[in-house]
Amino acid sequence: MATSTTVSLPLPSSRRRLGWRGERIQRFLTHDRTLGYLFLFPAILVIVGLVAYPFASAIVMTFQEKTAGAPGRFIGLDNYRELFSSEQFLRTVFNTFIYTAVGVGLKFFLGLSMALVLNQERFCNNLFRSFLLVPWAIPTVMSALNWRWIFDDASGLINNILVRLNLIEETISWLSNPHLAMLSVVAVVVWQGTPFFTMSFLAGLQAIPKELYEAAEIDGASVLQQFKHITLPRLQPIFITAVMLSAILTSAAIQFVLILTNGGPADRTMIFSVLSYHLALGGAQRLGMGAAVSLIFFPILVVFIVFLTRRMLREKGE
Amino acid sequence: MALRVTTQRRVLQGLGNGVLVLMLLWTAIPFYWMIATSLKHDKEIYGYEATLIPERPTLANYATVFRETPYMLYLRNSVAVAVGSTVLSMIIAVLGAYAIARLDFPGRALLARGLVFTYLVPTSLLFIPMFAMMSMLRLTDSLYGLTIAYLGFDVPFCTWLLMGYFKSVPVELEEAARVDGCNRVSALVRVVLPMSLPALVVVTFFSFTHAWNEFLYAHVFTSTTSARTVTTGLVNFMSQDVFFWGPLMASTVMSALPPVLMFLVFQRWVVKGLTLGGVKG
Repeated sequence: MATSTTVSLPLPSSRRRLGWRGERIQRFLTHDRTLGYLFLFPAILVIVGLVAYPFASAIVMTFQEKTAGAPGRFIGLDNYRELFSSEQFLRTVFNTFIYTAVGVGLKFFLGLSMALVLNQERFCNNLFRSFLLVPWAIPTVMSALNWRWIFDDASGLINNILVRLNLIEETISWLSNPHLAMLSVVAVVVWQGTPFFTMSFLAGLQAIPKELYEAAEIDGASVLQQFKHITLPRLQPIFITAVMLSAILTSAAIQFVLILTNGGPADRTMIFSVLSYHLALGGAQRLGMGAAVSLIFFPILVVFIVFLTRRMLREKGE
Repeated sequence: MALRVTTQRRVLQGLGNGVLVLMLLWTAIPFYWMIATSLKHDKEIYGYEATLIPERPTLANYATVFRETPYMLYLRNSVAVAVGSTVLSMIIAVLGAYAIARLDFPGRALLARGLVFTYLVPTSLLFIPMFAMMSMLRLTDSLYGLTIAYLGFDVPFCTWLLMGYFKSVPVELEEAARVDGCNRVSALVRVVLPMSLPALVVVTFFSFTHAWNEFLYAHVFTSTTSARTVTTGLVNFMSQDVFFWGPLMASTVMSALPPVLMFLVFQRWVVKGLTLGGVKG
């Protein structure tokens, strides 16, 4: 707030000589309130038109039987009722939690290890850091396509190597075996998403004053004790932000599952975004059902979103 | 005691080097496989003669992509949408962020909150009503439709990021400019923007790569070749009956290159911008 107080200075005399119209524009442009709304108008238009309105209409849609381009018919809670009695939906809820929890957990663990390793001093460390971050910069669709080929039944890299080493006789169907499919998808999610955690944690590690460790060392603290009593508490705020952000985006990311398994085999990798996509845009075009699937998950997401919004604004001094 | 800590550090350094090697392999092998496949003949890709290292490297797959697929069109579409949405979101975000950072008016804090909130709502909650809306407005299968749709993500994010930078520009500089006869608009253009150059670079990077990488909206809103972007075009290659992995990996390599190069060039700023609040997980 402090930065936004405006000192209303008297206009320089040269400006006073402007004509009546010039002076009006001048006054208009120095008035915080009008200028503020004028500047924010396009942004407000975007928020309302591309997020708030679609979101509101999604809520309405869940109470309707609706196809694209046609007006919906009000059916009350039927969509929700149908979902909760469908085994596919219950499996989807379970899968989404597992997928998100395991994915975020592994990304967190690997990201922290990578950050700690990269925080050590060594030859060419900057080069290694740049390289380890590249999976994050690759478009997720490209990573998913590449991994689909790596997992390929007949000629993929993994089967290729395993056969060569005589470890297996029959090739393994990584993406269509009901017991392996989820694991394979999560591996891809982890490969792509770990660098985000690495970057966040590394920045946090570098912000910890060196003196803290030096002082602890003089007091005879072991490396493990230093990690427990200096590193972890200092990183905790970053842990929370990174985990929450990643949980929102991992649970909602659609392209990995869509490209790798399309929800199969037998719904073993079906997560809510993919189910919602299938219901709304697959053959039957049941937009209301699709919207209902996403909205059921919204209450959980909103807790994270509200919490993160507060944190992100605090960082910006709001 | 000090000696013991030094020994511990030496052990940790060794352990760290080991972990680093594993991490480098885990990161590098998929890249290797993508590039190697794109350089192989079909005979080396499939069947009993499949190789791990291309024995007779060829650029034939790259030639196939350009000759036999509409890849060039997809590329052009991606560039058009990315440039369009970046320029638009930049203008909207600069104005919005300046208003929130510097002007005092009722509802300012609420709008700031609204912007961050919107940025965090994932598109998988919005694509169904967006699809219905776009169909109604006849903006499906259109590059304009896609450009506009991407603003829904880019504007909140860019505004939020710029807001922080604008606040760090000393108010006194701007006041001095205004004493010298600048109004708000020229103070923004002549004082605040030049001082926020790193932030503008980061914002450009994020909105450009977002449009380049985006899949869900592009996939849902387009059904014909004419408005397909690179991401949806490639997925479409894959979902056709024949899996021609050689050309597919060639086009994957080419499509991944622009964002990766941009990232490597702007890395320092991007990491800083990202750690200010995080982007995609």
